[in-house]
Amino acid sequence: MLLSRNTKEIIIKNIFLVIAATSIFIILFIFYFLFSQGIPAFETLGGKLFSNEWSVAKGEFGLGAAIFGTLIVTGVAMLIAVPLGILSAIFLAELAPRKLRLILKPIIELLAGIPSIVYGFIGAVLLVPYLQPNFGMLSGYSYLAGSLILAIMALPIIISMSDDAIKAVPRNFKEASLAVGATKWQTIKKITLPSAISGISAAVVMGIGRAIGETMAVSLVLGNMMEIPAPPFDLFETTGTTLTALIVNQMGEATDIQTSVLFVAAVILFIVVAILSISSNILRERIEKKFKGA
Amino acid sequence: MNLEKIKDSLKKYSSLIFDKENLEIKKIICIFTFIFSSIIAIIGFFSLTNSFYIGDTSLRVILILLAISYIVIIYISIFEIKKRKKIYGILILTIIIFVAAYLLPLLPPNYELRDYEIDATIMKFIINSVFMVIIGVVGASLAMKPLYNYTSKSDEMSAYYVLVVSILLVIYPLIVIVSNIISNGIGGFSWEFLTQDVRKLGTQGGIFPALVGTLLLMIGTALVALPLGLGCAIYLQEYAKKGILTRIISICVDILQGTPSIVHGLFGFAFFVPIFGISVLSGILILGFLTLPIIIRSSEEALRSIPQNIREGAYAVGATKWQAIKTVVLPPAIPGIITGSVLGIGRAAGETAPIMFTAVYFFGAGIPESPFDPIQALPYHLLELTKLIGYKSVEQNAWATALLLLSIVLGMNAIAIIIREKFRVEF
Repeated sequence: MLLSRNTKEIIIKNIFLVIAATSIFIILFIFYFLFSQGIPAFETLGGKLFSNEWSVAKGEFGLGAAIFGTLIVTGVAMLIAVPLGILSAIFLAELAPRKLRLILKPIIELLAGIPSIVYGFIGAVLLVPYLQPNFGMLSGYSYLAGSLILAIMALPIIISMSDDAIKAVPRNFKEASLAVGATKWQTIKKITLPSAISGISAAVVMGIGRAIGETMAVSLVLGNMMEIPAPPFDLFETTGTTLTALIVNQMGEATDIQTSVLFVAAVILFIVVAILSISSNILRERIEKKFKGA
Repeated sequence: MNLEKIKDSLKKYSSLIFDKENLEIKKIICIFTFIFSSIIAIIGFFSLTNSFYIGDTSLRVILILLAISYIVIIYISIFEIKKRKKIYGILILTIIIFVAAYLLPLLPPNYELRDYEIDATIMKFIINSVFMVIIGVVGASLAMKPLYNYTSKSDEMSAYYVLVVSILLVIYPLIVIVSNIISNGIGGFSWEFLTQDVRKLGTQGGIFPALVGTLLLMIGTALVALPLGLGCAIYLQEYAKKGILTRIISICVDILQGTPSIVHGLFGFAFFVPIFGISVLSGILILGFLTLPIIIRSSEEALRSIPQNIREGAYAVGATKWQAIKTVVLPPAIPGIITGSVLGIGRAAGETAPIMFTAVYFFGAGIPESPFDPIQALPYHLLELTKLIGYKSVEQNAWATALLLLSIVLGMNAIAIIIREKFRVEF
């Protein structure tokens, strides 16, 4: 059967449309399957799902401790990674000579390419044994170890996205500043950074999203007990877990309602990280729009 | 005696010491102070990472030497500058160093935080090393100011110093990780390690099935993700008009890119495992979905870089849209597409969370005979070995597995970078 040129074109276009729509279907499927598996937990536990009590024997499954753990580990990691990442990005984008930049940029990419299980392994065999005697900790497995590993892992994404944002500031902005006699550092401080600020915040938001969703590395260096340390800011105590580490550690032996609770944890992760990625992209689009005319 | 007189006598005195070469001497002292405080920062950093303490006396001597060199700097620059404000920073720093030189060695050997219900003991060397790092960096950065006569140039140089230090701090973990893995892992590499099955919970034998499994997963991932990703990119870049549908697809790709790998894993557990069982097929589908957004984004980028007039040239000689894409748009975009795909597949090869509940066994799976068989994989193997450390003697094999996994993943990265550089087409 011979098809006319136009019919053939229309068919091909629609084939591509269907392929392009797969991402929509994947998202819908992920959401549907996670949610449907999580519903039994909602039905039986209700509000108790967010309490701090976790006991398999008593049938109490509260995600409170894991949510708290995710927040504190991510927060401390960001305290380290954000300033360090932004400063390094400024160095990379504005200061590094061309040749050095050509070396450093791939190195940062390599840092991003190291699998998270390797970070976890290094954390377990190098970082934890280092922390334990030096801080007189019970075991070394702690929020502190988790935060340090997460900070190292979030750095490359923050650096390379901030670097892109700084590089995107139009040349004439900087040249105007240099022309009126400002030094390069004054230009960076007064012109480049304020112009790139939404791009840099996009990088930070993306880094937070990555840190919240990070699994293997964190699960290997945390204490993994469903307990909030007392006092809660005690980063050294061998308790505490995150949503991701909770799923990895309990999925293997979980049964019915417990499995369902773990799916609720995944739903929370999925929604939070989705919101973060969308807002990061909105911020990034805004900076693109802003500089289009310049 | 008034202030002028003191100044005059000080000037006279200084000219006795420094003579006419005052300026040169100042530079030398500044550079000395700069190098000296950098060295202090480095010593502090290494005593922090290698858990040693340089000792009370040497700490005191170093700090007092540093403080003296700052006093000399203040003494020289006080006549040169008009605004006194500018040396306040150095003045405060000097006082802090003096106080620290007195106080730090007096600290007790360890400081119990347990009295405040915090489960830690801060050792003396940690406080002192951290102080050395901070004072070293701040000091070196401030020493730049007199060197450039307190101009705006001097602010620039001291800011740059902080930037350089931060990039060094970022690269440090990479060096530690890579050098440790190479030096500890290389010893475990042998023909047996590469070709034998896992024996006795990984304490003996090798990783052959896991290596084959990882390679199979990589090939499978490419087969799933490449057609879907490329098709999606072609639609978004070549066919789609800006509208709601394109916007929704684009948002979904962004969400998919951010989705944590453990969420993919649970999704696979709920969706694919009931259909295909714990199998290679479930694994490659999940890893394919995980890689999809990376391939879409990089292919889009590659297609976008092909200029519009190339397409118009094809239309002008009567080509349809698909013919134009097939013959003139895709070929020059291929290096870019391959670069992104290789990167994505490399990423997938190192993933553990998505496959641990859907595709892999620690041992006993062997080489799969059909897509519905379970499989072994390097990342999961490393996870199980890491959990066994301390209970069984698996260190050697664990380091070697880490080295193998790292070389596969970084090898893929290197290939991608080489392709990008070699086939870069400029329009």
